[in-house]
Amino acid sequence: MTAAPGQPARSVLACGEVRTCLLPSLQALDRRAAAQLLRLRADVDVRISERPTMYVLSPEVLTGVDCRLPTSNGSKVRAVGTVAARAALTEGRLLQSTAYFSLPAAGPDIRRPWGQYLVRPGLVEPFGKLPQQAAAEGALRGAGRGELDLGMIAEGLLAQLRRHALLDRRVPFKSSPTKLRWVARREPEGERASLVSFVVAEGGLRTMELRLPEHIPAASAAGICEDLALHDWLLTTVQHMLDNSRLGTADGPSVVEALQPVVVHLLHLWMPRAHVDPALGHLWDVLEQKPGFSRQWENLSRRIRDRLALQAVATPNQELSAR
Amino acid sequence: MLIFAASDKGGTGRSVTSANLAYHRALAGDDVCYLDFDFGSPTAAAVFDVVDARQDTEDRGLHAYLIGEVSEPARIDVWSETEHQVLRFPPPGCGRLVLMPGDVSGGEFATGEENLRRCVDLLMTLYYEFDLVVIDLSAGRSYAVDMVLEATAQPEMSEVTARWLVFHRWTRQHVGAAASLVFGKRGILAGGVDRGHDEEELRNSIRFVRAAVPDPESPLWSQVSPTQSAWMRKTDGDLKQLASNHGIGYSQVLGSVPLEPVLQWREQLITDEDVLDSQIANEATWQALNQLAGRLTDDKYWEQA
Repeated sequence: MTAAPGQPARSVLACGEVRTCLLPSLQALDRRAAAQLLRLRADVDVRISERPTMYVLSPEVLTGVDCRLPTSNGSKVRAVGTVAARAALTEGRLLQSTAYFSLPAAGPDIRRPWGQYLVRPGLVEPFGKLPQQAAAEGALRGAGRGELDLGMIAEGLLAQLRRHALLDRRVPFKSSPTKLRWVARREPEGERASLVSFVVAEGGLRTMELRLPEHIPAASAAGICEDLALHDWLLTTVQHMLDNSRLGTADGPSVVEALQPVVVHLLHLWMPRAHVDPALGHLWDVLEQKPGFSRQWENLSRRIRDRLALQAVATPNQELSAR
Repeated sequence: MLIFAASDKGGTGRSVTSANLAYHRALAGDDVCYLDFDFGSPTAAAVFDVVDARQDTEDRGLHAYLIGEVSEPARIDVWSETEHQVLRFPPPGCGRLVLMPGDVSGGEFATGEENLRRCVDLLMTLYYEFDLVVIDLSAGRSYAVDMVLEATAQPEMSEVTARWLVFHRWTRQHVGAAASLVFGKRGILAGGVDRGHDEEELRNSIRFVRAAVPDPESPLWSQVSPTQSAWMRKTDGDLKQLASNHGIGYSQVLGSVPLEPVLQWREQLITDEDVLDSQIANEATWQALNQLAGRLTDDKYWEQA
């Protein structure tokens, strides 16, 4: 089944990778600065929404690729096309970049002129038939040498943004970036999108599998993945700060000092589904039930507020007894 | 904060001492990353006892990253990957300890715009992520030294605190060599100024670490003959004078690490178990390393001399 030239190919699989990190800037960016930062193209506007949180989304940029796809069973599949990449900034504080593409079930056995790939942004065509299972598993495992590396494209965009002259390149606190790899298998139209798995792996890596009806664009899938990646980053980062020994045994002003960045920069960022395609919002329900993202966040933020409250109670007492 | 570990000669204990400093800081709760920029002979994997994990990351190390063959250098989480019995069970509340290994096959390579770009990106990314980043550089005025001097001179790294530790042994040759590595015609200072560093600022960010220093007062030498003892004191005094003449006297020294068989022969991290339980390592060594680790970020020791 080879799509005739000119006819848009139906995709059977979409793959992507999201990188999430703290914006290297002491101050959160305001709307104008954020729009300037994410202005990746002169011909397409940056999208800005200010309710319920400020969220700025860059236009997509394309990267032409002609290389092997990562596969789990070692089968060599050459693929040609374009990978779409975009960046998002939430509340002027958290920066994300996503690289993603869709794959049709099969493609022509010869390479076509570039113009034909360019009119299908974000579509990568395999030579011959696509081994769907192996390609999906390969995308989650990540690229080896010489294979299509979404991480490299996402990281490249992130590095470019972090070098922007608008930023003072100083961070209010140290934090680890995370990466989330996702694949979405296409379902017949009419089915409901579903979340198959969400796995937290070592070294800041998360993987996620989706089922996605045909009428929902891959960009929407990228959107929900960015939303989940952002909230997962918040949980990971705040949990790591609370686990640290300097906080565990600390007392006095050092507690306030250690927790201050969380309160100033992070606590207000929790807003699941705020900028997600309504057709995919229900995917959150799965994670809310188990493991319970929001439950954990509430618990963490309560712990922080209680620690600070205790500190506030203790301080005047100490001052009085010192007199 | 970035800490560059340099030395003029091999065998100064640069790698093993800087790895121990990283370990002490991680125990104290800092997130620490250790980069093996010793491109000629990467040894860090052995020091942290992660040789097996290291094999899995073969050819995806820092060398492969800097020449653009991989998009990110491999990371090894020391606590979870080490084969060392004690390191496997870090105390609760300690920070992360991550090793970025070099490549066995990677030698020195020519410097280029692209390599430099990647080096700056890497150092900045790690600076945003870790409390302390220790970069172990090849001995001498190597390519690695030139590259990081060039990288830290870039305007985007102007806000980053970078400090240099120059390791040398406590001998006449080593004292002279360490001084010339920093102050010599082709030294770090001159090389840094050529690349746009402010001389005063760079000078103030360099401190010396005396390694494998025999202490004449130590009980180790209590049995030696009076003549030997007098000679040791005299030589020690002469060396202090020599160091001071070379401009690497007391005020320029961040600390010294005593002569320690465990460091010399095993070239591994010294754990509290080595000191307290099996008692193969000296308490004084542990203390010295701990003190040195604390001084890395203590501004008092980095003020203008």
